[in-house]
Amino acid sequence: MKKTYYIQHAILITGVILTLAPFYFVISNSIRSNNEIFRSPFAFPQSIKDVFSFTVLKLTGRENEISYTVRTTDGEAVLFETRSGNYAEAMSHQWHTMTDGFVYAWEVLRQYMVNTLFVSLTTALGVMILGSVTAYIFARYRFPGSGILFYVVISVMMIPGILTLVPSVQLVTGLGLRNSYLVLILPYIASGQVFAIFVLRSFFKGLSEDLFDAARIDGANHFRLYWSVVLPLSRPSLAVIAIMNILGTWNAFMWPFIVNSDQQYHVIASGLYIMSTSQVATNYSAMYSAYLISSIPLLLLFVYATKPFIQGLSSGAFKA
Amino acid sequence: MQHLKSIRTGAACYLSVLPSLALLAVFSFLPMFMAFYNSFFEYEVGGARTWVGFDNYLDYIISDPTTAISFLNMAILTAITIAVRLSVPLIVAKLIHSLPHERHRYLYRLAFLIPSVVPGVAIQLIWGLLILGETGLVNSILESIGAGEFVRGWLSDPDTALLALACIGFPWITGFEVLIFYAGLSNIPESVHEAAALDAAVGVKKFLLIDIPLVLSQIKLIFMLVIIGGIQSFEFIFILTQGGPGFETYVPGLWMYDNAFSFQKMGYASSIGVVLFVIIMFFTVINMRYFRSAEELQEAS
Repeated sequence: MKKTYYIQHAILITGVILTLAPFYFVISNSIRSNNEIFRSPFAFPQSIKDVFSFTVLKLTGRENEISYTVRTTDGEAVLFETRSGNYAEAMSHQWHTMTDGFVYAWEVLRQYMVNTLFVSLTTALGVMILGSVTAYIFARYRFPGSGILFYVVISVMMIPGILTLVPSVQLVTGLGLRNSYLVLILPYIASGQVFAIFVLRSFFKGLSEDLFDAARIDGANHFRLYWSVVLPLSRPSLAVIAIMNILGTWNAFMWPFIVNSDQQYHVIASGLYIMSTSQVATNYSAMYSAYLISSIPLLLLFVYATKPFIQGLSSGAFKA
Repeated sequence: MQHLKSIRTGAACYLSVLPSLALLAVFSFLPMFMAFYNSFFEYEVGGARTWVGFDNYLDYIISDPTTAISFLNMAILTAITIAVRLSVPLIVAKLIHSLPHERHRYLYRLAFLIPSVVPGVAIQLIWGLLILGETGLVNSILESIGAGEFVRGWLSDPDTALLALACIGFPWITGFEVLIFYAGLSNIPESVHEAAALDAAVGVKKFLLIDIPLVLSQIKLIFMLVIIGGIQSFEFIFILTQGGPGFETYVPGLWMYDNAFSFQKMGYASSIGVVLFVIIMFFTVINMRYFRSAEELQEAS
């Protein structure tokens, strides 16, 4: 008898639906108008229903039956005006209903997105460079104190963030780094490189000695060994380390929120929180659009680099 | 292994690791020493320092009215998190692992990872507004099944605020934990499954008696991550309730934040950080000394 797995699939599919349900409502509300959301927060988007029904009317030659309500403001007064007839105008109205929230949210978030992208890419690059150089030295060279220095570096993993949060803020204030990109990038590289050094050092130690001998016979110097032998081989590890750091930067909230109060330097996480405490908070359509926009970069990373993304996600939590 | 050949190479080595070490010295070790040092002083930012010895610690541990409730809240939240993070993802991982087609197993694992592309702050705000808010999903469901008397602001009602915070993320199928447990289950050798089949251990019995003991090192890992995370985490409380209503959802980390950045009591805040650090160290040492992983147990036996 062939065993069936209906019960397993039923439980797992229920789990998937419950896990993803909040995001369905986020997507749905992001294309709905605030009026619709106020009236019923969990209904299906009217604009999608209208697009279908209007298209059916148009295709069956009943364009004159198209009817929709436009919300206009005249000074203080809010007016609702019913329009009908024109398919093209009706469609353009639906398009605006669906994208209004995004247009507004993007206005607010654009600078934060640019900041987060810049900070996360610079941090990832810095971690890859410093991490691989330092790991290479610790893995392949012996010099007085090298063993102790390595353990000093690794011991940083035992320092919890809660211990250093308050003095770190005082420190960067004293250094005059508040409200800049550096106040994010430098501490992120400092703490991000530790795990990279740890992982890459054991990887470099495992590389075959013959490889280095062969390169040395070909006349490679120390730098060429690093650049042309070690780095190309560690590309998969570097990808995981880069993604792990990008994930970390994208999620970091408290530090950027405290040290960068200037709007010009907000990142996505602090920007979303500040949006939710400002008058934008009642513009639900814009808020849901903002949540969606802020997820797109990591979603692209997830789709185009699924394997390193999963590994980066896993190793990121080991570090915590 | 290349050994030191000349003073020049040695100097080059030091020079190459210098940027890493300099960054760590400034942004990791210096703040750590500052935390201990500052905790013995009373001062505001830019103000004069007064040496107070262990007074900050004594004040915090003995006479601060928030200490008891905030530690209780931290313990409750962490205990609930441990319970759900160890049970639900393990069961889900087991269900996925039992499926016959690799394609199905892969798709389910991917599906549970999708939420990790959403920034943590966004997830917390979504839960606060869309699900636990006054017009949120929970209240809508209660209204529609005629249980309108239970409708409330789940995060603003003193009776429910803490539990509502613990419910964030329901059904708690976190992709990361599923991956870890799935990897653990995949590492169980085929011979174990065959032996179990011979002994007629199947279904729930096999899961409890065979699978769980063999993923003990994964359980231990997540247990420690949740404890260390639970002692430190206050971001989501800061975002959703600010510790309120009253002190119902205060945790020590949030009190540290408030003392440092609202009340300017920098020395006092540093001492709270040190207390939390000591607790984390306590659990880390206990973990390393007394909880042996499955591999170690196997080696020993």
